[in-house]
Amino acid sequence: MGRTLVIFGAIYLGLLIFLSYRNRSSNSSSKDFFLAGSNIGSFLGLFTFAATLFSTFTILGMPDFFRVHGVGAWIFIAVSDLIMVFGILWFGYHLRTRVDKASFMGMAGFMAAVYRARWVGYIMFATAFIFLIPYVAIQIRGVATFLDQAFPDSVPLWVWAVGMVVVMLAYSEIGGLKAIIYNDLLQGIVLMIVIWIIGFVCLDRMDGLSGMFEKVATKNEALLSVPGPKGLFDFQFLFGSMVAICMIPFTQPQVSCRLVIMKDHRALGRTAMGLGVFAILVILPTMFIGMYGAFNYGDATAPEFLGNALIKDQSGPVGALVLIGLIAAAISTADSQIFALGGETRSLLYGEDKKMMKKARMAIVVFALLSLGFALMSSDELVLLARASFAGTALLGPLVFFGLFKKDPSLFKLLPILTGVSVLILVGANIGLYAAKVGGLRLDLILLGLLTIVALIGAATTKGTQL
Amino acid sequence: MTKKTIWKICCITVVIMAILTFTPLVTPVGRTGPEVMGVPYTMWVGFLQTVILVLITWVGTKVHPGFSDEEA
Repeated sequence: MGRTLVIFGAIYLGLLIFLSYRNRSSNSSSKDFFLAGSNIGSFLGLFTFAATLFSTFTILGMPDFFRVHGVGAWIFIAVSDLIMVFGILWFGYHLRTRVDKASFMGMAGFMAAVYRARWVGYIMFATAFIFLIPYVAIQIRGVATFLDQAFPDSVPLWVWAVGMVVVMLAYSEIGGLKAIIYNDLLQGIVLMIVIWIIGFVCLDRMDGLSGMFEKVATKNEALLSVPGPKGLFDFQFLFGSMVAICMIPFTQPQVSCRLVIMKDHRALGRTAMGLGVFAILVILPTMFIGMYGAFNYGDATAPEFLGNALIKDQSGPVGALVLIGLIAAAISTADSQIFALGGETRSLLYGEDKKMMKKARMAIVVFALLSLGFALMSSDELVLLARASFAGTALLGPLVFFGLFKKDPSLFKLLPILTGVSVLILVGANIGLYAAKVGGLRLDLILLGLLTIVALIGAATTKGTQL
Repeated sequence: MTKKTIWKICCITVVIMAILTFTPLVTPVGRTGPEVMGVPYTMWVGFLQTVILVLITWVGTKVHPGFSDEEA
């Protein structure tokens, strides 16, 4: 496998360098560098959305989630994703019509403008920062751990992590968002090919679809229904996840900025439609891999299962392709998140464009280094940490929607204040200062519910809606 | 039926489908049947739900009132 990996790796790296180099000259302003000129068509739009949304947790986390918790994982991620896709069509339009494309730099700056208060932008930025940095870190951590176990006698884990961050930073800094988008195209295709090759192999070894479920039933029938053997997929978890996932396009800046930079509304519509198909196609094989794991590696640890199912049980070239696919999945999400934080920084800076762009580019390097630091310290629970990230940024939902739909959101500043307080409360629970449940209810759901009620009260008591 | 009406129907259907996800119609606790081609109930109903949502999204892209404005 070693030689094949070197060949595939060299081709992949060569293409990344080529695409970054090709796009390097067009970044004369912040608009070009951070927003790719705001003129993205549906084909590139589809792949950049897909590569940004479907990350390491899809290729590593979801198979393990299916293996441990069963078919309810489909509801948790696929159904929620498809509702989100319609949400892109529904509310993405409103975001695009409200945003002034000419001055838009990021959601933090946009919120600061509509609420007519810079501190509201800081709340947006701080929340994205707090919940995205750990998410970026787990992408890097997940793949570095996997590579470390696949090649135990090669280099230490931190070398893999540093290598990924260096590659990611290099092409982001050279080519800006345009390079990231073209690389997302490459990474999205690699991800899809890899996941389907492994999915087919696993399905074939389990004697097809019905054979697969029959075999899994003999091992643990609870995997074939909700809430799953460990009872994870109860109403609160599924509902909270769906709400958090549906909020992603409006509360996670790496996705929001992609809504805005689409060429026109129709391109956004086609992208949303394609994204729905992509979501089904990319999640389905993770179910095959997970069920294969449930039958063959039911009692194994997650790294043991993934090492066997994705590498050792595959032929040499497929194993090598898997490793490239994993790296692609990790850096395609992580780069967009780090870069979006840079864009958010730029949206809050006022002054001469060249100088501010330079500052924001330096911020990207700082964010990447912080993520690297977290990656070397974080835990291995990919999916649950990813969910914590979605749930955290989801708290921004009421603030964003109020800002979108009210004519003058600045008349109701209580909402941003309470949003900031809620984020702090949730952070306290996430770092273990107190329980994440109150009276049996998840704290993230309670906070989101309260913020929604406050937003509705604000909508009823202040003047005029935008639409 | 006008495009605006169809768009409203799409939105209402998606909201209803999202709510149905948490009812025994899609996620019955501990029930694996009835199966379709050996696929357990929640899995095939969930899959069907995602396919329907893609179709609704496709219809939505055709009838979205804002997209018509752009065309005009």
